[in-house]
Amino acid sequence: MLRSLRDTQAAFAAHLCGHDQPELVATIGGDSRTALQRLQLHRHHVVRSVGAALAATFPTVAAVVGQEFFGLLARDFMAGTALENPVLSRYGEHFAQFVAAKQDMHGLPYLADVARLDWALNVAFHAGLEPRLSAADLAGWPQDSLLSLSARLPTGSSLIESAFPLDLIWQASQPGAPVDKVDLAAGPVCLAIFRRLEDAAFVVLAPGEAAFIKYLCRGDPLATATRYASQVAKDFDPAATFGRMLGLRLLTSGTAT
Amino acid sequence: MLPSAGIGLRSQHLDELLRISVRPAFVEVHAENYLRPSPSLEKVLRLRHDFEFSVHAVGLSLGSADGVDEAHLDQVARLVDRLQPTLISEHLSWSCFEGRYFNDLLPLPYTEEALDIVARNVGRLQDRLGRQVAIENPSAYLGFRHSTLTEAEFLDGLVRRSGCGLLLDINNVTVTAHNLGLDPADWLNELPGEAITQFHLAGHTRNVLDDGSTILIDDHGSRVCVEVWSLFDEVLQRFGPRPTLIEWDTDIPPLAVLLDEAAHAERALANADLENVALAA
Repeated sequence: MLRSLRDTQAAFAAHLCGHDQPELVATIGGDSRTALQRLQLHRHHVVRSVGAALAATFPTVAAVVGQEFFGLLARDFMAGTALENPVLSRYGEHFAQFVAAKQDMHGLPYLADVARLDWALNVAFHAGLEPRLSAADLAGWPQDSLLSLSARLPTGSSLIESAFPLDLIWQASQPGAPVDKVDLAAGPVCLAIFRRLEDAAFVVLAPGEAAFIKYLCRGDPLATATRYASQVAKDFDPAATFGRMLGLRLLTSGTAT
Repeated sequence: MLPSAGIGLRSQHLDELLRISVRPAFVEVHAENYLRPSPSLEKVLRLRHDFEFSVHAVGLSLGSADGVDEAHLDQVARLVDRLQPTLISEHLSWSCFEGRYFNDLLPLPYTEEALDIVARNVGRLQDRLGRQVAIENPSAYLGFRHSTLTEAEFLDGLVRRSGCGLLLDINNVTVTAHNLGLDPADWLNELPGEAITQFHLAGHTRNVLDDGSTILIDDHGSRVCVEVWSLFDEVLQRFGPRPTLIEWDTDIPPLAVLLDEAAHAERALANADLENVALAA
């Protein structure tokens, strides 16, 4: 017979993790025929609610594989990954690695990258809104000091490189999207994921643009990042790229900490 | 705050709430939805200029034998500091064991040992926040044979030991009484009514168990049912009006539906016969 609160909670926790606990069942009052069923309500609620939270964090993955299959994926993931924080949006940091390891199960070589994109959007959405550089900020700067400017992606932003056209897969997964087929040969792609005022979003970067941002985020000033980006992409246009980044409000001043 | 009706704040309604002129008396946020920076948190902070707030925590696991997660408590305290809510509440339940969370409001055996632990955890929460917190009666789907106190006796003991307030969830009383074969009137008889600082109202669904009996599920996904409105009237007659919240957490309807439910609660609060409130007599 379970006596202490700790013993009761240990047995209940084990039950919720899928391990049958006859001693716990025996402590449930009322009709013994329904004791286990009443306990199962809690187990089902935990699985369902955490699965729903995971689907909310990974909506593109859920849209690609369908809610039913996503439920199976989520159940497997939950069995091996404890919820360590009551803030549900923090759950799923390692879901992309899990999805990659489960390719035999889903058969979709791009699905792990889709999960990386969903997680990156989640991280960006939960970043504080930092001031962004705009063309107006830089209008009065002398040309030579502009080249020594340090800039970076805002906190919570990231770059994702994929062999697959993640942008097209994401677009096709949106509710009401007219496209139901994506040409996977349209990849590879590099995306910058970042927080906007009202949401998180991504933009597709050309190879030179991606190199430019990578070097900026590494701490290199504008001049050095431009030089490296020109080596990566012969057609790199620094003025057009910098103008586009400013227009997207994609950069903030200073180096990454 | 005058006893009036508010609604649970859902992210789907944030923009509309910032625009509309017919407003609920207060809004309630689930603390755990707003502990991280986000556009939603920024909108909530803007709404704070125009609305009274209550903060309802769901993840502090005050019934845990392990005690309170101090890191999580710190985050909740920071949110409370930013929002300066009129009311703060949590549940008489647990959701964490040895660092693993279960995202459910799990039941406690009502024993003296558990009462000691919950009173200590509630005390820690109130000390950290520097103010009283209201503890909500949960919806129960099962009871433990080794309980030695009724739920209402447990809540009474908790109020005495910790000085906490009570959030009386009237839907939960209905659900618990049905599921455990209790009489809601008996349940209410044992409750220290003077400690109640807020009421909650919500919808529930009905499932059938293997033995053919029905079980009510507190899913917050529909309008408040007639039975709960009736019990609300009875509660108002017993204890008098308190700020009352309409909760709706699944299958979220248009904002107008929540406001309509809040208007229903407002009418019940206004119609309460204050001359004959049992508690005041």
